[in-house]
Amino acid sequence: MSTHTENVDLVPSDVVVNLARAALLAALVGAFAYVKFPNPVSPIEVTLQVLGVFLAGILLGPLWGGASLGLYLAAGALGAPIFSGGAAGVGHLVGPSAGYLWSYPIAAALVGFLAHGGVETRSLEDLAVWRLVAAMVAGTTVIYALGIAGLVVVVGYGLGKAFGVGAAAFLPAEAVKIAAAVGIVRSDALRVE
Amino acid sequence: MRYEPGESLLHALDPRSKLALQVAFAVAAFAHTTPRGLAALTLLALGVLAAARLSPVAVVSDLRVVLPFLVLAPLVEGARLGAPWFDVAAARFPALAAYRVLLVLLVSAAYVHTTRTRQSRAAVQWLVPGRVGQLLGMGVALVFRFVPVLLDDVRRSRAAMRARLGSERPLRDRMRLVATSGLNRAFARADALAVALQARCFAYNPTLPPLSFDRRDWVVTLSAFALAVGALAV
Repeated sequence: MSTHTENVDLVPSDVVVNLARAALLAALVGAFAYVKFPNPVSPIEVTLQVLGVFLAGILLGPLWGGASLGLYLAAGALGAPIFSGGAAGVGHLVGPSAGYLWSYPIAAALVGFLAHGGVETRSLEDLAVWRLVAAMVAGTTVIYALGIAGLVVVVGYGLGKAFGVGAAAFLPAEAVKIAAAVGIVRSDALRVE
Repeated sequence: MRYEPGESLLHALDPRSKLALQVAFAVAAFAHTTPRGLAALTLLALGVLAAARLSPVAVVSDLRVVLPFLVLAPLVEGARLGAPWFDVAAARFPALAAYRVLLVLLVSAAYVHTTRTRQSRAAVQWLVPGRVGQLLGMGVALVFRFVPVLLDDVRRSRAAMRARLGSERPLRDRMRLVATSGLNRAFARADALAVALQARCFAYNPTLPPLSFDRRDWVVTLSAFALAVGALAV
């Protein structure tokens, strides 16, 4: 019988806390894919996934917020049913929603960077409302720009028609989500340090 | 579409060879978006599904969320506001592009159906070495574990809202309330999890299931490599 010994290389505690939060927020974005709300301007319902992307950037900061959505993509590609409509698989990363999916980590990092004014995270009370709104508008722009680019490159839509199919009906709902996100970050009900 | 235990050929393969196959298939599909190329890839995709003992009909019906985007593409691009009302030439590329995406999704469904989370995690950590790979593997495993738990949390808070006529409130308030309760529970669970991980000596070097590459894996990996190189060269 052979024995095998090696030293245990412990993960530092701040990394453990951030990893757990990043993973749980990624799982929450996945759970949000199942939560449907009526769309104010179209019969196609909207999910809260983009709201989850905004909140990951704001609550975890640019580095761990981006990492969180990176975990979301990796887990979804490897089979966790967390893409839109409970889909999973590597194929979706080159599928019709590829542009939206790839934009999530970028948008979360960008929202975090703009909201916190840099890579260092600041206390939520110190974040001005105009900063939060500007960060989320920039994040929305990135998500839809890449989403439309994905529809054009992968499925062969023309630019204008891709905008009609992939963005026009959803943008009003994004405005509601930005308003909701400001309410969440400013709310006393949020128990996050 | 999720993992189901089974004894098919694809269940027996190493996750790394299955990932190589998917990547090669996607490369070939994007490099050869022609009727002939896609006809050949259709046969290959059906073969992969058969090797996973999956019915193509079941997989396609599972893709109902993305199907409208694929079906709409040729229709929207081909439609004209005057005679002749439909331009076949304009609809040709979107139709082929949508079909190639469908084939890629079929093959990736076969992977999802036949691969355990633990195997996928081990493959990720083989692919991305070092501490980044360890954190990525651990993070992916945690996402798999917590999606059903958090989904349950969110559904429970929505049911509670409905029971109290919260569904009558404006959309913004409903989104805010559901997201706040979801976040609070997610963060409470994350912090408890972090304490539990540290109590159990969460380390950069845990023990994972050994991956084993046998002769069939070499055949699949080399074929996948040949497919990708061939598709790019031809």
